[in-house]
Amino acid sequence: MSPDTVSIRRSDLRADFDRSFAEPARRYDREHVELLAVRAGDHPYALRLSQAAGLFPDRPVTPLPGPAAALLGVAGFGGGIVPVYDLAALLGHPLPERPRWLVLVGGAPALAFAFHRLDGHLRVPADTIVTETGDAGGSLRGMVPLPGGTRAIVDLPAARAAVHALTGHTDADEER
Amino acid sequence: MSGDPLRYFRIEARELVDQISAGVLDLDQQPGPDLVARLLRFAHTLKGAARVVKQQEIADRAHEFEEVLIPHRTEDAPLATDQMRELLRLNDEIEARVAALEPAPAPGADVPAPPPATGPVAGPVAGQLEPGVPPETAPPPRAATADVDDLLDAIGEAHARFGPLRTGAHALDRLHRTAENLADQLRSARAGGADTARLGALRLAADLSALGRRLTDSVEQVERELDEIRGRAERLRLVAASTVFTALHRAVRDAADGQGKRVRFEGRGGDLRLDPHVLALVNGAFLHVVRNAVAHGIEPAADRAAAGKPAEGTVVVEVERRGRFAAFRCTDDGRGFDVAAIRRAARARGRLAPGAPEPDERALLDLLLRGGISTSAGVTEVSGRGIGLDVARDVADQLDGAVTLGSEAGRGATVELVVPLALLSVQGLVLEAAGTVATVPLDAVRTCVRLLPDQAATAAATGRMAHEGRALPFLSLAGVLYAGAAVPDSGPPGVAVVLAADGEAVAVGVDRLAGTSTLVVRPLPKLAPAAPVIGGVAMDLDGNPRLVLDAQGLVAAARNGRHVQAGAVPAAVERLPILIIDDSLTTRMLERSILESAGYQVDLAASGEEGLTKARARRYGLFLTDIDMPGIDGFTFVARTRADPALSGVPAILVSSRSSAEDRQRGAEVGADAYVVKGEFDQEELLAHIRRLVPS
Repeated sequence: MSPDTVSIRRSDLRADFDRSFAEPARRYDREHVELLAVRAGDHPYALRLSQAAGLFPDRPVTPLPGPAAALLGVAGFGGGIVPVYDLAALLGHPLPERPRWLVLVGGAPALAFAFHRLDGHLRVPADTIVTETGDAGGSLRGMVPLPGGTRAIVDLPAARAAVHALTGHTDADEER
Repeated sequence: MSGDPLRYFRIEARELVDQISAGVLDLDQQPGPDLVARLLRFAHTLKGAARVVKQQEIADRAHEFEEVLIPHRTEDAPLATDQMRELLRLNDEIEARVAALEPAPAPGADVPAPPPATGPVAGPVAGQLEPGVPPETAPPPRAATADVDDLLDAIGEAHARFGPLRTGAHALDRLHRTAENLADQLRSARAGGADTARLGALRLAADLSALGRRLTDSVEQVERELDEIRGRAERLRLVAASTVFTALHRAVRDAADGQGKRVRFEGRGGDLRLDPHVLALVNGAFLHVVRNAVAHGIEPAADRAAAGKPAEGTVVVEVERRGRFAAFRCTDDGRGFDVAAIRRAARARGRLAPGAPEPDERALLDLLLRGGISTSAGVTEVSGRGIGLDVARDVADQLDGAVTLGSEAGRGATVELVVPLALLSVQGLVLEAAGTVATVPLDAVRTCVRLLPDQAATAAATGRMAHEGRALPFLSLAGVLYAGAAVPDSGPPGVAVVLAADGEAVAVGVDRLAGTSTLVVRPLPKLAPAAPVIGGVAMDLDGNPRLVLDAQGLVAAARNGRHVQAGAVPAAVERLPILIIDDSLTTRMLERSILESAGYQVDLAASGEEGLTKARARRYGLFLTDIDMPGIDGFTFVARTRADPALSGVPAILVSSRSSAEDRQRGAEVGADAYVVKGEFDQEELLAHIRRLVPS
């Protein structure tokens, strides 16, 4: 083995090693899906980790009086101000108790959803997820059988679309 | 001494040039020996400083500037036109030479960094759209020295506040040693040592608690100071609107000079501080707008004389904050928009459909605003009105704002650009209510009045407060912030803050005032629709959003009579909860909802037995009990609690469907304070009994 091949091999290995950290776990493979098992209000749901941009417990949320009942308020994230919506209220079963967990949703404008409990982080084979045919509407897309029962999957982009509709926000607003 | 000999000269020269530029324009409008003397002083200072750092060209120009002014030291008469031009020319040359001294941003250059986002932003807008006119230089948006001084003062103050913390650490050491000595004494346990040790322990405990208090105070003070520093530092990011007045004034002057007109410029509201980016864009647009006003609005002197107007025209630029928006308004006293010319131009360009009804003035102005029509008879050096408005509209689009035109034939025209404020620096008064904190801009606060409990109760109940002989609408801040949701327990408002906006006033009830602070208000994020009482959000020290109230919104809310109901809630809140005992779920829930919406805290018991257990477990302000219940009935419950010394002081009300005189009699005998009949259930009557019985 020439010194050249060794150095190439070494840099390949280093690149692989670095990449394994740089790449999010959610890209681990195509056969599996990373899910967060959560509880919004009294109901169990699952979220796709790949759709979340961050998960935060006990973040202070400043209540904001206004017309949207599902809007819990605003929270500070890295110097920015992010609206926080109650997932349970958005899905139609609000609880008086304020939710403890926040999940940041990717995309613009900034948006976070709050839910009451985190049951766990799971990796399930992609083919166990039951997808519904056609657009069922709402923010739920598919179901997943998990220990303890089948959970409906909250599609965060769909939930975001629901918030956009709620606030009269259109994509045209974004382009300006 | 640093390796950069020009370091301080640059700062000084920049300030002197600013003062000279503004002064020359003032001289043009209001000649007089005082102003001449001031300009001579600036020029002389600049000349001296330039010589010291071997900037001979600048020194020479400053000297020439002085030469022009010296003959006018004692006269009131205006300078000759060519002398004014020469002053302006020298002014420009000095400005350019001083600007050329700014170093290219080299790594490690030992110069004070300019605040961010101060680059020339307006240039491209103006340059692209109007090739005939040289690109505008952006306003010089930079922090005033006074702001930096304020910031440094605040940092010094915060530093001083750390003193007690440092001495606190020493005190802690000392106490630690005392505790060790005490432990030694206890271990050796000599005869009679126990008493000494006990005294020592007591002393130690007292010292510790005193130290704790001191540390808490110090930490609070440091936090407040840091908050102030943060506000001031953020304020440095913003610049006063008046920084663009000089450039606008100069544009007016040059346009007037080019057209042989006499026009005075006036800038108002220059104290408002804005994001330099916004200011630069608005400045770019307004340079066109004011030039338009001079070129197309202000009539030639002969026409003005014929119309009975003063020979000198006026262009006023006003800057004003309107809640979350800043309004820039240019008003001239010229001839107004030439509506007939707009109509002709629109027709010539095929903008009016043939056979369509004649558009009115409003519609024509809208058409003008949409661009492509210039009312200028010939293309002048100063640009047609249409292009100027295009730029204004363009800026409005970029900033999510709006342009409106106003015109009165023969009297003048108005161009107004309203832009939302991304960042706005305000002095805020920090208010606390029902456990939440909000800030209100100090400039809207007229006064603060301490409220006695009964005044607070009256104000909350009626939604009105007497103040200086007027009845002001009264809102409870807690009611406003919780907007219909249950307000957490708190006492009645202790202070009324009187705010004014739009010529109206409103009193806002708060628990307490928590000082003032400098803060930068940001707009609410998209996807966060809020009630109009919220003007924006500011970040606190922990990076959490804090609501900033909008005075206009509060006045409007009071006018609409909203929140008055909610406002009644906190005033009625009492210290002690009420215990409801009733075997009927419906009655329990009904009574609970009545009491809770009146601001009381409520506990429930489904039987007399449960009621007695709960009554003994917690202090209550009142028992509200049904009579007919399985097991212990209401009469018995009241009788037993009257017999119990711990409970006999708690008033009791009997609520029953029994309405006979005997039952009322029996209720009184067992010691009930009131008797309410369910059939004629009147929640006001019930609440009246409760208010009478439960001390606030």
